Amino acid sequence: MTTDIETSMVDASKPAGSVPSPVARAKWKRARFGIAVLATQALVLAALLVVWERATPKGSPAAFMFGSPSAIAGFLVQMAQDGSLWRDAAVTGTETLLGFFMGNLVGTLLGLSLWYSRFVSRVVEPFVIALGSIPIIALAPIVIIWFGTGLVSKVAMSTLSVVIVALVTSYKGAVGVDGDQIYLMKTLGASKFQIFRKLVIPASLTDIFAGLKLTVGFALIGAIVGEFMSSSEGLGHAIFKAGSLYIIPKVFAALVVTIVLALVLTWLVGKIERLLMPWRRRA
Amino acid sequence: MSVEAATHARPGQGEAVNGTALPLVVEHVAKGYDLNGQVVPVIADLSLTLRKGEIVSIVGPSGCGKTTLLNTLCGLLAPDAGRIRWHGRQVVGQPQNVGYMLQKDLLFPWRTALANTMLGLEIRGVPAAEAEDRSRAMLDQLGLHGFADHYPATLSGGMRQRVALARTLVNDPDVLLLDEPFAALDFQTKLLIESDMVSLVRKGGRSMLLITHDIEEAVSIADRVIVLTRRPTAVKATYEIELGSDRADVISLRENPDFSRYVRRIWADLDVAIQ
Repeated sequence: MTTDIETSMVDASKPAGSVPSPVARAKWKRARFGIAVLATQALVLAALLVVWERATPKGSPAAFMFGSPSAIAGFLVQMAQDGSLWRDAAVTGTETLLGFFMGNLVGTLLGLSLWYSRFVSRVVEPFVIALGSIPIIALAPIVIIWFGTGLVSKVAMSTLSVVIVALVTSYKGAVGVDGDQIYLMKTLGASKFQIFRKLVIPASLTDIFAGLKLTVGFALIGAIVGEFMSSSEGLGHAIFKAGSLYIIPKVFAALVVTIVLALVLTWLVGKIERLLMPWRRRA
Repeated sequence: MSVEAATHARPGQGEAVNGTALPLVVEHVAKGYDLNGQVVPVIADLSLTLRKGEIVSIVGPSGCGKTTLLNTLCGLLAPDAGRIRWHGRQVVGQPQNVGYMLQKDLLFPWRTALANTMLGLEIRGVPAAEAEDRSRAMLDQLGLHGFADHYPATLSGGMRQRVALARTLVNDPDVLLLDEPFAALDFQTKLLIESDMVSLVRKGGRSMLLITHDIEEAVSIADRVIVLTRRPTAVKATYEIELGSDRADVISLRENPDFSRYVRRIWADLDVAIQ
């Protein structure tokens, strides 16, 4: 498959007689590369689905154990029609967004402010490492005791999954600021707060956004783990329930929705990143 | 700022002219750094003077502590011994009205050329409209008209260094401290920026201390060239550069036969210092 596309790419670039301009050519070359990547990905996915479908004929034990793409599609349609797909996605999406927002807000504020004091950051360091090494799932029972079985406990799980990562990435960004740039600010007479505001915060944005992209997934995992423990709605609830009833294709259907949700959230973060860091648009 | 009126305390040494204090007087400064508990001397004993409106170049073999010297001068490092006086005063922390420029342009990538230029004025609380006007005018003077709203990533190395120069000059410094600011640029770009910079500095009556390893650059720009020994650093020789009255045109100066004589002599000095 891949070789086919590559050879066709080489062939297409051969007729160099009526080429417009080098810039347009380079642009076309990049676009063609992107198309080739997308086409190959689609082919790989299609091949996987075909093999999966063939290996799991209707009514066979394999279909029961592994589901089949057509059965999964059927459940997706059914869930969309009875509205549970949208409801569960909205519930999990809300939990994820709230946890993502709170975890990143708290983590980033703490991480950046640690730049202020070498002493405090040294004192705090082992505690952060200790907290960061706790598997969040181990906290789920306590979180449910503290925050109940509703929305708050899922948001808390999601927040906890995010906060340490956000703290570490933003702190790393803040202490990674070029020492010469700090010297420059000092020679221009900047106070510590001015250095923080005009240099440290904008310079850390790259790391902060790297953290944001990473924590989208963590926030979603946190919310779903929370739903696994105890819940009456949400994608985690749907997965857990379908799993307990051995309806494997429905598990996969809910997973597909989860994946789409993650992709949408990641795409949103990327959009915001480009909006907030216009100087990086042309890089 | 803690201040000590040292100008008249020790007359003979500071070369203080009656009444007006010299922009910069360095007396017997020593500086070392700590390596596993042992002090490694970088600057052994260094004295120099910068007069008003004077351009002084410092050349020395690589690794002779030029950057340490500069960081000590502008208060980022404290000297182990000796005294540094700015306008007759010993200063704790950063001296006032001193512009500092390095080989790295240190432009903030998230700020446009204009916003980078405005940085110092912004920090000092100059009203935004005034800061913008002054910065635009400075960018125009340095040939960056039309590039004010460009981000550094879209500018060439020479243009970026011009923005850095604008950022320095817009604060109206009495003294400029430059640490090989154009070393990373190609020869032609470097000559053009140098010539613009020297004419702006001379026109403004500013003093300038330029640290460089490029002897031709040192001779063409400076009124005086100070040659340093290798570590631990001290002054090896001082040359008064006399190349006629028009020192603003640093490009045609290079054709002066005396120019190459100075360069050869300083080169010979450095050569000895290396061995």
